Amino acid sequence: MRATGLFWKRLKPYRTRLAILMAVIGPGIITANVDNDAGGITTYSVAGAHYGYSLLWMMPLVLLALVVVQEISARLGVVTGKGLSDLIRESLGVRATAILLGLLVFVNLANTVSEFAGVAASMEIFGISKFISVPLAAAGVWVLVLRFNYKTIERVFLIASTIYLTYVASGILARPDWNEVWHGFYTPNFQFDLGYITIFVTIIGTTIAPWMQFYQQSSIADKGIKVGNYRYEIIDVVIGSLFAVVVASFIMIACAATIFKEGVTIETAKDAALALGPLAGRYAQTLFALGLLNASLFSAAILPLSTAYVVCEAFGWEASLRREIKEVKVFFGIYTALIVLGAAIILLPVKSLIQTMLASQTMNGVLLPVILIVMLRLVNDRGVMGDYVNGRWFNLLVWVAVIILIILALILVGLSVIPLFVGKGFQ
Amino acid sequence: MPFISQLIGHPVADLDGEPVGTLTELLARYEGRIPHPKIVALEVKKGKRSLMVAIDDVAVLIAPAVSLKEKQQNVVPYEPCPDDLYLVRDVLDKQIIDTEGVRVVRVNDLELMRVDGGIFIANVDVSGAGLMRRLGLGTLSRRLTTRSPRATLRGVISWDDVELIAGDQPMRLKVPGEKLVDLHPADLAEILSDLSRQEGRDFLESLDLETLADTLEEVEPDFQASLIEGMSNERVADVLEEMEPDEAADLLAELPEDRSQELLELMEEEEAKDVRKLLAHPEDSAGGIMTTEYIAVPPNLSAESVMQVIREQGEDVELIFYIYVTDVENHLIGVFSLRELVLAEPGTPVFEFMEKRVVMIGLEDSQEECAQLIAKYDLIAIPVVDREKRIHGIVTADDALDKIIPTTWKKRLPRLYH
Repeated sequence: MRATGLFWKRLKPYRTRLAILMAVIGPGIITANVDNDAGGITTYSVAGAHYGYSLLWMMPLVLLALVVVQEISARLGVVTGKGLSDLIRESLGVRATAILLGLLVFVNLANTVSEFAGVAASMEIFGISKFISVPLAAAGVWVLVLRFNYKTIERVFLIASTIYLTYVASGILARPDWNEVWHGFYTPNFQFDLGYITIFVTIIGTTIAPWMQFYQQSSIADKGIKVGNYRYEIIDVVIGSLFAVVVASFIMIACAATIFKEGVTIETAKDAALALGPLAGRYAQTLFALGLLNASLFSAAILPLSTAYVVCEAFGWEASLRREIKEVKVFFGIYTALIVLGAAIILLPVKSLIQTMLASQTMNGVLLPVILIVMLRLVNDRGVMGDYVNGRWFNLLVWVAVIILIILALILVGLSVIPLFVGKGFQ
Repeated sequence: MPFISQLIGHPVADLDGEPVGTLTELLARYEGRIPHPKIVALEVKKGKRSLMVAIDDVAVLIAPAVSLKEKQQNVVPYEPCPDDLYLVRDVLDKQIIDTEGVRVVRVNDLELMRVDGGIFIANVDVSGAGLMRRLGLGTLSRRLTTRSPRATLRGVISWDDVELIAGDQPMRLKVPGEKLVDLHPADLAEILSDLSRQEGRDFLESLDLETLADTLEEVEPDFQASLIEGMSNERVADVLEEMEPDEAADLLAELPEDRSQELLELMEEEEAKDVRKLLAHPEDSAGGIMTTEYIAVPPNLSAESVMQVIREQGEDVELIFYIYVTDVENHLIGVFSLRELVLAEPGTPVFEFMEKRVVMIGLEDSQEECAQLIAKYDLIAIPVVDREKRIHGIVTADDALDKIIPTTWKKRLPRLYH
């Protein structure tokens, strides 16, 4: 018995490191999972179903971009111990904060609408009308957050999100031609039409959503990770990003191998569910619906909450779920308004739930370069980061990415708007 | 009263009316014993170039355009001192501690005041109106709001009630710190729960041991544990010695095993012994929430001798209102209150006026039972005894009720989305 005691003691430095790793892991993985929300699942499904394997080459690049952005966000959080909106207010002043947060709230509202669209779409598979499912979901989410400990909710979701592994299974079981898949990964092809650029920006927007950056940085700052333990946080970030992109790629592969091959396009959630056919057979639709519902509900819970916190943090309004409502009027108001509006907009006659979900992710993609520029500004400020500013090559890398994103966003907006002026409709 | 946001951005011209640049920063410093800093310099920027100008070289500051007393080439640049406060960089838009309202708030604007030829920082504006003014909607906000006097008071804080959060400053300011120590530990704990983790840790570093111990006692053990995470073991051991043994035991119970052991070894023998005893009992039993600091006297002691005992031990003991009577083997045989002691004749031995039917509770009994007995007999504290009726400690009413009634007044760990 003394031998084991000694062995245990010798493991101590590793035990400590593991303990730190366990303590630090969380924000990165959670954020990555939140990535696979209603908008995410829809985007990747459509990408695979409508374009086959031809968009796979994007994924490694998107992974690189995701890791880089998450790393900057993590570094900001660890070094300053503050959330992103806090930093924006302190470094860029009130006007910039008002503009940026205004845009963020608008885009987040669109995302919230998308989450409720996900709820509606998944419930339609069971034949439940959106007029029942959405108000129920909205009320449920609102009450859930107010009544239950947030940590518990987070944990429950994390466990439930292992459902995404079904996509990996399905992708393999669909027996795609792995040569084709591999080919898709390293053959870049780019078309200059609106549809292609849109899906391009949408994929980026759903994988690197602006609201996620705010959420993650707050999470990390809240954990109070010491600067010395920063490298553990990197591991967390990389694992999280890897998981997210792997799942996303498999969603694409599964859809390409089943839906694209069949020549079907995704109009409703039922079509998207076909991708799970190889795995679940006739239970494919049920499985898909549950996965989509889970993703939508959780994001519908976090997103309005995160937005409310972010706004109140920047403008100095009291933000807490534990206080009396009259003490936290603005916080509560923003939170409730986002849920109510999000649900209400979906109840309006909407042509396609799928298109709504996609549109919100495209908006993410357009707002992203703006937020990235702000983050770059902050992470290069010695007054904020001390010695942890970006290195020159790192900066170059990120700036290149930002410029590409801006160009894409501009082309997207341009191609969408010009036909309106010229008086033509567009597909 | 001009606001700093109204001045920043104004053009600056020299004696000849030549444009020098734009006003981008104001520096201020404490002078003498005045609790409000005085503006001592400004920063003027033109493109990339910046020039520091001492306030003595400025003819008019509070005007649509700032004018200097000299020609641009004749201005001697001001050398900033380490004590100088950079108002725009370090104060505006940052969070500060309002020691009057006991909260952490964000600076939306600074109000300046002209006194005796000098310009001082009068107040900090944390109101919504201040926010609107910064966004250029000042007139709109004035028309929309009919401010109640109370709202106005909360929105504007006098500078001398303000404490800057040390972590943000490149240098530590010496004048603050005094205002904080005067606050009640419960208020300090409230402020602590509003700060970010790192700020909280810096805040605690600046407190002396006694205040630190008192403040920590006002927060939940899990919050305590997270706050002392960054502290050196020596300092934590010192704080644990300062704290009540039962509080110290609660905190140690929250920490990982090895750290807890290390700390106990660093503590003074006597104190560590008490804490170890408490740690030995299950957390939710009477033994787990009791304190070992009480006064016990033998039965034949006279009333005035007891007074002497109280004078000697009173400082260190949690409760002196009840004094317990024990025999040589520590069996609990009676109790009396301070009231009975004071009203008794000085020469009377204790056993004549003590209460022999003592309400007591066992080491293993639950907290609920403690609370029920305390409520039933209107007690302030209840002695905890073992099976042979030897006294081991006392449970005070607040500790007993603590576990039953959710402590909304004790500060909890501020979590994300709490």
